[in-house]
Amino acid sequence: MSRPGLVLEVDDRTPPLVVHEGDGFRLEEFPRGTRVVYPPESLPSVPDVEAAIDHALRNPIDARPLPDQLFAGMRLTIAFDDISLALPQMTRPDIRQRIVEQVLTMAAAAGVDDVELIAANALHRRMTADELRYMLGERVFRSFYPQGKLRNHDAEDPANMVHIGVTDRGEDVEINRRAAESDLLVYVNVNLVAMDGGHKSVPIGLTSYTSLKHHHNSHTMTHSRSFMDHERSAMHHSAWRMGRVLKDHLNIFQVETTLDNECFPTAYGFMQKREWEWSVKDQAAALAARRGLALAPTSMRRRIFQGVRAPYGLTGISAGEVEAVHDATLERLHRQQMVELDGQSDVMVLGVPFIGPYNVNSTMNPILAACMGLGYYFNSYRGKPVVREGGAVILYHPVPAAFNALHHPSYVDFYDEVLSVSTKPSVIEAKFEEQYATDPWYTHLYRTSHAYHGVHPFYMWYWISHALDHCGDIIWVGAEKRSVERMGFRAASTLDDALAMAQGTVGRSPSITFLHNPPHLIADVT
Amino acid sequence: MSVFTLRPTHRGGGGQRRPSLVRAVTGGVSDVRLVARGWRWGRRALVPASAAGSTVVARKGLFPTAWARTPAASAARDAIQAGALVPVLAQQTDTTVHGRDVITRLRELGDGPIVFVANHSSHLDTGLLLAALPWAERRRTLVAAADYFFDTWWRASGSALVFGTFPIERRASTVSATPGDLLREGWNVVIYPEGTRSPDGWSQRFQLGAAHLSVTENVPVVPISIRGSFAAMPRGRRWPTGHPTVTVRFGPPLWPGPGDTARTMGPQVERAVAALLDEDATDWYSATARSAAGATPSTAAPVVPDGAPPAARWRRVWERTEPLAVRRPRQVWRED
Repeated sequence: MSRPGLVLEVDDRTPPLVVHEGDGFRLEEFPRGTRVVYPPESLPSVPDVEAAIDHALRNPIDARPLPDQLFAGMRLTIAFDDISLALPQMTRPDIRQRIVEQVLTMAAAAGVDDVELIAANALHRRMTADELRYMLGERVFRSFYPQGKLRNHDAEDPANMVHIGVTDRGEDVEINRRAAESDLLVYVNVNLVAMDGGHKSVPIGLTSYTSLKHHHNSHTMTHSRSFMDHERSAMHHSAWRMGRVLKDHLNIFQVETTLDNECFPTAYGFMQKREWEWSVKDQAAALAARRGLALAPTSMRRRIFQGVRAPYGLTGISAGEVEAVHDATLERLHRQQMVELDGQSDVMVLGVPFIGPYNVNSTMNPILAACMGLGYYFNSYRGKPVVREGGAVILYHPVPAAFNALHHPSYVDFYDEVLSVSTKPSVIEAKFEEQYATDPWYTHLYRTSHAYHGVHPFYMWYWISHALDHCGDIIWVGAEKRSVERMGFRAASTLDDALAMAQGTVGRSPSITFLHNPPHLIADVT
Repeated sequence: MSVFTLRPTHRGGGGQRRPSLVRAVTGGVSDVRLVARGWRWGRRALVPASAAGSTVVARKGLFPTAWARTPAASAARDAIQAGALVPVLAQQTDTTVHGRDVITRLRELGDGPIVFVANHSSHLDTGLLLAALPWAERRRTLVAAADYFFDTWWRASGSALVFGTFPIERRASTVSATPGDLLREGWNVVIYPEGTRSPDGWSQRFQLGAAHLSVTENVPVVPISIRGSFAAMPRGRRWPTGHPTVTVRFGPPLWPGPGDTARTMGPQVERAVAALLDEDATDWYSATARSAAGATPSTAAPVVPDGAPPAARWRRVWERTEPLAVRRPRQVWRED
């Protein structure tokens, strides 16, 4: 029996707590009375994954069984979530591999010859061949990749895109031509957090800048409260409108999966446990990890953490009509991640971990660190934000001004040229977005190399619009002062310093809430 | 806009500090200190109060104590008790022992083991009780101890060596030594039927373990009352202060009758200890009379008038921390 989430109140019996900070972690002693939100323990995982997938495909929700929709001579496209999910990457076999193999087995039995597989990477970087092989397995890779039938989505190839129509709000709906012109589009999703899945899969994963700009903008993002609650997220509302347009033109068979909370392998097991339950072995492992990381150079620390593979278990799988499937997905996901929290706090504390959706096998640069903390973790709520309006957010991350030249070229210029002019999302949107989005060099790197699209750093910045709008103070602990100040925030050496700096905003004895994630959680704030 | 610029400074670790061996060592020391303090190394692990309801404390196997009953360990215990425990207690407390002759009388009947049963309100009790026993009995007496004494290796080892403690069997799967086994081996056993120290000095409900042992092993129970130890060193205090007065009083042995069970004998044991406490506070004859009439004052709570609510916690503690009368040498010459 897995235990539900817990809101701990720090007292004199509470040991130091693990706080993630990039490629490392701290053991932090929080002030007494601090609330610490722990996610629920992992739900029981599906014992026979293959049988569960088979059952879902043959017994879909509000749709015909998949084998009944497959026939010789048809065009079948299988799209799948890209490397931004799951986080950290799953141990092999990835759940997408297992599902794709079963879909292909059914397609082969039906005599389907025209099959293509597309990574739904939107404006994300293209996945490498090795990454595709890791995700989908050798069989799938060898059968399709050499023929070019397993590929990344290219949002900048006009021949590759087709304009489907517009929504009742005038939003363009443009998606991948192959997907649009297929008899059946099977979308294989990993629903790691509540913002994933549903109509965020096809209308966003297989689209282009033309469509994305309708919801990936500062206004929409500021009014998405939160991303983890699609019914109150302006971004999701837009995606849902687009999805309903697509529904009239495409036959989409959505497959959604939910995972448990097993984020860390055995070697990092102490990060998975509540600290007062640590055994002597866990304490020794934490000490050894702290010392080892202190001695390791930056590149080695990054390699160590990027090498982490999560032993996620499958908590459930649903297939069929997009919205019906997503409802079932959210029900499971909420059971796994939701923690009830009574009231807001003056101060919210977050540890930004080593990985986010956009630095898999890469570097978490300052913009991505801000996005992870103030975009994803700040928005991990339902109802009201964890911190009150005008309150302070304290984040832990070293925030080095380090960029991956291959993956994030436009981020470098965004950091140097855009943030030095303004950090206000609406201002930089008006002044710089179009320029970066249409820059031919960034587009070239996106299409031919493994670079994120030129406009991507803007989206990351819009992602934090709600937090910027809501919070009175944002302070980073243990961060590089120069990079934090470039982003318009402040840096502190310790938590005590950060709280002292925030006194002007929240007073001398503020209420504090620390979200103890990962593993993933959603605070249901009442 | 520059089309694509990559500055060398952006490629490395930015302003992150380089690893340093000196920093790693000093950081290691502070980390170890932090973990040792946070996780209470060498002490009992604690659970935050707000997490108590959702925390399952892992049960460990019982600490092995057979080594503490070997001749060498027993000899060491004799030396420690005679050379340190008894003198220290005598120096730190003003202890009076009454009724030790019941043991002499028992020994006239045979050499069998005895179950000593006492009220329990302080960590002083075990030392006082052992120090009160004749040397020949003390060296063959072991003490049944609660989990508290076996939560850290050093506490478990120390108490097993000094007091001859052994963990009480709680689960069949982790039996190391049961009181029954020890009695059959000829050891006397001290049991506190309340299970744990009283939080306020008043007796808690007696459990039936001692009575059960007496009935199943057919051994006598010697009731003992200890007064003043709660005032001397209650929960939370580590050492007695002020040379407190304490009394240890032995009562006549209780033998299980032919039809006795733990359920019939348990209340007898509880009444015997209560009568001893009454006797210690008053005198033997009147206490015996009250016991015969079933009017022994309650040891569980202060007496309140009929219909009045139970005494508040402070009153319970107040009454039990009242110092016992200090014994002074009788003055031959009184000054007017």
